Amino acid sequence: MTFLRCVNGAVIASLLCTASPPPLMAQSQESASGVEQPSATPAGADGATYQSAIYTPQDKDERGLWMEVDEQERKLKNSNFVIHDPALNAYVHDVFCRTVGPDCNALRLYIVRTPYFNATTAPNGMIQVWSGLFLRTRDEAQLAAVLAHEYVHYRDHHFIKLWRDLKSKSGAAAFFGVFGIIGGLIALAQLSSVFSFSRDMEASADAGSVELLVKAGYDPMAASRVWEQIRAEADATAAARNVASRKDKTGGMFATHPPTAERMAMLKALVAKVPTTGPKMLRRAEYRAALGPLWAAFIDDQIKRNDFGGTEFLIGFLANEGWTSDLNYARGELYRSRGRPADMTAAVGFYRQATADQAAPVEAWRGLGLSLLRSGAQADGQAALKIYLARKPDASDKAMIAMLAGV
Amino acid sequence: MARLRTVSIILATIGLAGAGPTLAAKLMPKGKQTFVAKSALMITPAVDWNRIGARPGRNAESWTLDGLSLNDVTFYGGIANDTTLFRDAKKKTEPLPRFSTTMLAPDIAQLFESSYRVSVGTSLMSIDSIEPAVFAGQPGFRFAYSFVVQGEEVRRKGEATGAVIGGKLYLITFEAPVIHYFDATVARYRELAASAAIGTVKR
Repeated sequence: MTFLRCVNGAVIASLLCTASPPPLMAQSQESASGVEQPSATPAGADGATYQSAIYTPQDKDERGLWMEVDEQERKLKNSNFVIHDPALNAYVHDVFCRTVGPDCNALRLYIVRTPYFNATTAPNGMIQVWSGLFLRTRDEAQLAAVLAHEYVHYRDHHFIKLWRDLKSKSGAAAFFGVFGIIGGLIALAQLSSVFSFSRDMEASADAGSVELLVKAGYDPMAASRVWEQIRAEADATAAARNVASRKDKTGGMFATHPPTAERMAMLKALVAKVPTTGPKMLRRAEYRAALGPLWAAFIDDQIKRNDFGGTEFLIGFLANEGWTSDLNYARGELYRSRGRPADMTAAVGFYRQATADQAAPVEAWRGLGLSLLRSGAQADGQAALKIYLARKPDASDKAMIAMLAGV
Repeated sequence: MARLRTVSIILATIGLAGAGPTLAAKLMPKGKQTFVAKSALMITPAVDWNRIGARPGRNAESWTLDGLSLNDVTFYGGIANDTTLFRDAKKKTEPLPRFSTTMLAPDIAQLFESSYRVSVGTSLMSIDSIEPAVFAGQPGFRFAYSFVVQGEEVRRKGEATGAVIGGKLYLITFEAPVIHYFDATVARYRELAASAAIGTVKR
């Protein structure tokens, strides 16, 4: 996945031409950010000698860059967008540790609330996982595949190679100067077209991640499955918008992670070389349980992206093993939000399926009532809204819904 | 309107603020009734306001007291069926949701929320309450919202009031940072919103 989208280009540009701090200062920055110095080869979990992949910057430019990334990490820590939910953080950290081994404790994982599929690695060991990823990875093995891929970028020092390569290109400073005025996660994603790992590095990260998955006992096919799903979602988005699919376009995530047929074939070939013995864990139930409390917020973020085709694909994909009341509710919300007359009829059907289960989200009765009212079924609509109000007496929209319900 | 404000900040930062007439502000003097958002919506400000030249959309315009990032009133005047609230800048890759005349008040609040989420790329946006209200003498709604723009991190609160009149959506929104500015200027917005009236369309 992409490397580092939050390095501020302007500061990088200035680092190219200003003196860097003395080594002592750089070291104090690193320890402040929690980056540990390499320790004397601790023993791995399996008793084998363990070679830590933790890296310390070697020259003044690297140290300057590290400081900058540490500063970005400091900002990220205080961001409104970081999800602090202790249970989800603990779970993702555990999966990471199970997959990559003892280095996991030196790297920092941040779960960021943004509805897109991505994860990024910074050279100082800061890894971001975007919340949109949790709707798209289907089991623990797929999550582990993504985390392992990011870790390999870090372990194999891909960033350093990229950084030295960039430095050798004239004009890089001027380029970053132009982009330096733009801040923020999303805007800086535009930098990724320059700051992206090469195809060789991506291939190497894929290969490394397959090895790690096998070692941890996960199904190594998980890595290629993630990309198949993302490709299919891009097709679904495009079909609903009546535009060409962006799956093979440059720009955005696909520029840095071309989910090409070639790449998937390579991943499958790698897996084919793996001995067939040993466990092939997916841990789907554990994954769903860990996601449970936050799933509603993530699907809500997705529905409000106004991406009908992509969202319908995702919901259908999540329903591979049967429609739950949560999924029917989500489908009702999606159709109601598009709001064409035929959508209202469909939404009513989905909400009815959801509310057949008394454990459905209480908002399903709200959606049912609103859809019925918009379809002209006044009495039925008001009855559904009254159920919503009765079940959620402290609803934030109580006053408006009560009026619509004729209470 | 959040997107317009972000663009203004970026342009100002790179020194293009004076480059064109679009970002110029025009004084909207107190006591003078005026049509807003190229629509039939009329407003009578009780104090002097500044109208920002750049419009968030064909039927929208923004006013401010101290600058859009500190207090931002945006008028949406007569949004027609199957149109967006503001400019659909990334129509192909990130299209905005469209208003439908069949929408109920909660649907309109969700349309607004979704439009913001898409246009400024945030997932931190919520409608915090919604209730019936009178708007320009017509039955309408009022809702409160809050959001954070990604990469900016300033927590903002907002309030909106509007109604569907003659099949078109009229909406006035106010937003400002939670720290100091919302409470300091929300009364000025409420004054403006209370002065709303629907007149004969000015062409």
